[in-house]
Amino acid sequence: MNVIEINQLSKYYGKARGIIDVSFDVQEGEIFGFIGPNGAGKSTTIRVLLALIYPSSGSARIFGQDCIKDGPEIRNYIGYLPAEVYYYDHMRVIDLLRYSASFYRKADKNRIYRLAEIMDLDLNRKIDDLSYGNKKKVGIIQGLIHQPRLIILDEPTSGLDPLIQQEFFNLIREENQNGATVLFSSHVLSEVQKLCSRVAIIKEGRIIGVEDIKALHNNNYKKFKIQLAETVSSDYFNIEGVADLTVDENNHTFLFKGDINQMIAKIHDHRISNLIVEEPALEEIFMHYYEREA
Amino acid sequence: MIFLIYMGMLKYTGFAGAGESVTDLFDQIPAGVKSILGIGELDVTTIAGYYAVFYLYFMLLAGAHAIMLGAIIISKEERDKTGDFLFSRPVSRSRIITSKLIAALLNIIVFNLTTLFASLVFINIYHKGPAITDIIIQLMVSLFILQLIFMVVGTGIASVTKNIKRATSISAGILLTTFLISAAIDLYDKIAFLKFITPFQYFPAGETITTGGYSPSYLIISFLLIITFVIITYRFTEKRDIYI
Repeated sequence: MNVIEINQLSKYYGKARGIIDVSFDVQEGEIFGFIGPNGAGKSTTIRVLLALIYPSSGSARIFGQDCIKDGPEIRNYIGYLPAEVYYYDHMRVIDLLRYSASFYRKADKNRIYRLAEIMDLDLNRKIDDLSYGNKKKVGIIQGLIHQPRLIILDEPTSGLDPLIQQEFFNLIREENQNGATVLFSSHVLSEVQKLCSRVAIIKEGRIIGVEDIKALHNNNYKKFKIQLAETVSSDYFNIEGVADLTVDENNHTFLFKGDINQMIAKIHDHRISNLIVEEPALEEIFMHYYEREA
Repeated sequence: MIFLIYMGMLKYTGFAGAGESVTDLFDQIPAGVKSILGIGELDVTTIAGYYAVFYLYFMLLAGAHAIMLGAIIISKEERDKTGDFLFSRPVSRSRIITSKLIAALLNIIVFNLTTLFASLVFINIYHKGPAITDIIIQLMVSLFILQLIFMVVGTGIASVTKNIKRATSISAGILLTTFLISAAIDLYDKIAFLKFITPFQYFPAGETITTGGYSPSYLIISFLLIITFVIITYRFTEKRDIYI
């Protein structure tokens, strides 16, 4: 079953691009990554899902209901951590969290204390006195108090120190194991890689691919670094399946996806002085995505 | 507000004591100046007339309070960037607006009642003649209508304004403009037809004191204005894109 179904969603800010024809589905029980550089349209997409902004065209459904029309109802089951966290400055953390919990039928106020302990947050301080990282913790907790069936995290880790990040990842995994579906937006690939099963890649407002992260990482691409002992034309290795080819004198570097024997045959025809074949980092795979679509 | 009324009544004791001579003095002030001061044709040596002069400033203060309250209560979520928090809760926008309007309403009621009680108490202390309680209450009802109008004008402006930061300055501008138009109408009879565009002229204190009633046409205009701006507030806030 799909928890989120986004169908050709577009949002323009006046004439400026927000997102264009964004479509993807998030299945129940998965941790779905949403990745792209800053300004690509991740937050815009998420803000439409929460009916904070209205789409110019297209639609999105959550739990099978329209995210705008049925927004108030479906938001009962959504926990949302915004990219930028701002709360009522004069309130104490505990008051803000209780206020937040008061909106939900299912909120268990005792969870506040448990979550605050995990995230190492002092509940008695005033919001105004908190550092950015601590405000982020408030954001994480207010998004989880009511045990949402769908957790939407927009750049959740910025401002968190690595130790707390680890706790946070554990917390999200735990919620996921208890049945929550997670949409996790980030521009940092390594954290998406750690947590997510599938990922949608967005660039300049358009989705340029939805990939299974394991398949993407393990099987498809190999990174070749070849140093030839003789000079060949710069597009010698530019066969089908090659991407990101760079040639610097006799050093040829590229990503390759396809029959490895074909590439070995190409290499076999020339004298080589050095050869490295490795797993590309996810960053490089995505860089390739971005460049190809540019 | 209480202090203003207190100081005002303190001065009244001096005025009332001087009696005739004050009337003479005021007769010598040109009509234009009197209009600007809000005195007009009122007899400031009677307690009602004197109070009516003050009432002009109550209107200005109450109007400023109401329109700012209205503008801020709607715009603050975006100004303080708490909109993401509030509007992502499982409640509809219209419910949020309703709660905000009720909160603002309570606020202006408290403002109005404070003015009422302070007026009654201080008049009672410094004025030894017959009580003018019913006039004061009538004036406070007019004041409340004025407050309501400006409050919903404020919420309306905040819902329509694209750049939310400008909501309060536009509101302040509208308040001042309507107040100045009102003063101008007091100066030149010829522009009296403009009365309907400034709530300050709907229920002038002098009229309330002399006739003891409200003009039905302005009651209707007030009612329509309030309804219109409430509808604007709901419509536009519901359709608004929330940015932080």
